[in-house]
Amino acid sequence: MSVLLVPTHRPPPAIYRVARALRWIGVIVLVLLILFAGSVAYSAYEAAHATVESRQLTGVLVANGTIDISGSFTLSNPGIYPIGGLELAVHVANETGVHLASVVVGPDTIDGGSTGLFPISLQLPISASSAAESLLFLDQYLMVRAWANVTYAYLFPLSVSLSENRSWGAPFEGFSATAGTPTLSNGTVTTPVTLTWTNHASFVEQGSISFVVESASQANCGGGAFSMDVAPGAVFDQTQGVTMSTGCSPAGGQILVSLSVGGSTTTFPPEPIP
Amino acid sequence: MSAPSAKAAPSPEVIGYRVPSLGYRILIAALRMIASFVLFVALPVAVLGYVHSRGLAIPISIAAVTTWGLVLLALTAARYILKPTVAYGPLSIAVAAVFFAYLYYLVSLSPYRFVLPGGSASIAAGYSLFLELLMIVPVVEMIAGVLTTIEDVAWPRERLPFDYPA
Repeated sequence: MSVLLVPTHRPPPAIYRVARALRWIGVIVLVLLILFAGSVAYSAYEAAHATVESRQLTGVLVANGTIDISGSFTLSNPGIYPIGGLELAVHVANETGVHLASVVVGPDTIDGGSTGLFPISLQLPISASSAAESLLFLDQYLMVRAWANVTYAYLFPLSVSLSENRSWGAPFEGFSATAGTPTLSNGTVTTPVTLTWTNHASFVEQGSISFVVESASQANCGGGAFSMDVAPGAVFDQTQGVTMSTGCSPAGGQILVSLSVGGSTTTFPPEPIP
Repeated sequence: MSAPSAKAAPSPEVIGYRVPSLGYRILIAALRMIASFVLFVALPVAVLGYVHSRGLAIPISIAAVTTWGLVLLALTAARYILKPTVAYGPLSIAVAAVFFAYLYYLVSLSPYRFVLPGGSASIAAGYSLFLELLMIVPVVEMIAGVLTTIEDVAWPRERLPFDYPA
């Protein structure tokens, strides 16, 4: 043990005081950051139990030949730090990878201990010759890719990428329009036209569906219309006799079908008549 | 480090300094190492092991954490043991430099990317901003080490009465 006596009235040298102050600053910063990291870890553990709830998604046929799938989801943040800069992007493509629709949510912030509500609206174009036309008639798997960016506890950016296939039920699955054998009665030719499909969508199909029978030379032979109110999972199978115009033969022609919902009309691809 | 013992009784105008023995300093350094080992080695290794056991990729190998941690602990212990000597300043610089290099290495590994079991979701978690804030610690410690080195060279043993007041 070494002992040296020095005068007490001499204060610590400036260089010593500066070095000691810097060491204290380092220790304080280290302790504060460790405490912060610990609290973030605890808060993140709590936030890991956050619930994401999607409200009922509703799909409706709307104008301009689109299906509007709308709804909302809630995201709870039970942690003590905010989830900031929340941005969510969802891209939907069909089975062949053709992009159909996108939706972007945010940026937004969910404070600690609160819940955020985010409305979403996804519009799928289904009109004839559009990228999503097959959604009308074919059940398929849609490729859904979602990206989310958030910043947790001010300092920790987080990016999440999700990719999954979601089954899609076509509203007009197995659609067919067929012309039956013409019959002659009292000098009038009548051709029975049958429309069938199954509604595999999650929404009720309400509106009217009309058709026109064309001859091989694309002359209008006649037409008709059905009102429709098809529940999800139900089959539509109705036949209507069409009085043919004089001298107009449907053989080799086609049936043009138009869907009218909410004041807008969507034309289906023509169905050839053998 | 030795210094002449005082022959006269201390007066109100004087104080002394009492440098702990080498054995005592080694003992205290070992006890401090235990606490530091838990914080800087055992705890991170346990967390990494837990993450790895859940089938997730880990951002840094357990061997790297252990190696960096043990090097830091050894240097920190040596610094404490040699605090009464002129090696204290250079060792402080060395500890700070190694800590800074460790943090820089960790920053280079950010963001931490992993795929959830099942492969449906991939996550990238960034932590570089936090580590950059943490770099304040070795930087100020390095400056303090430089100042202490200068002081020890220019005025040997000047700081001992203040580091080890009797």
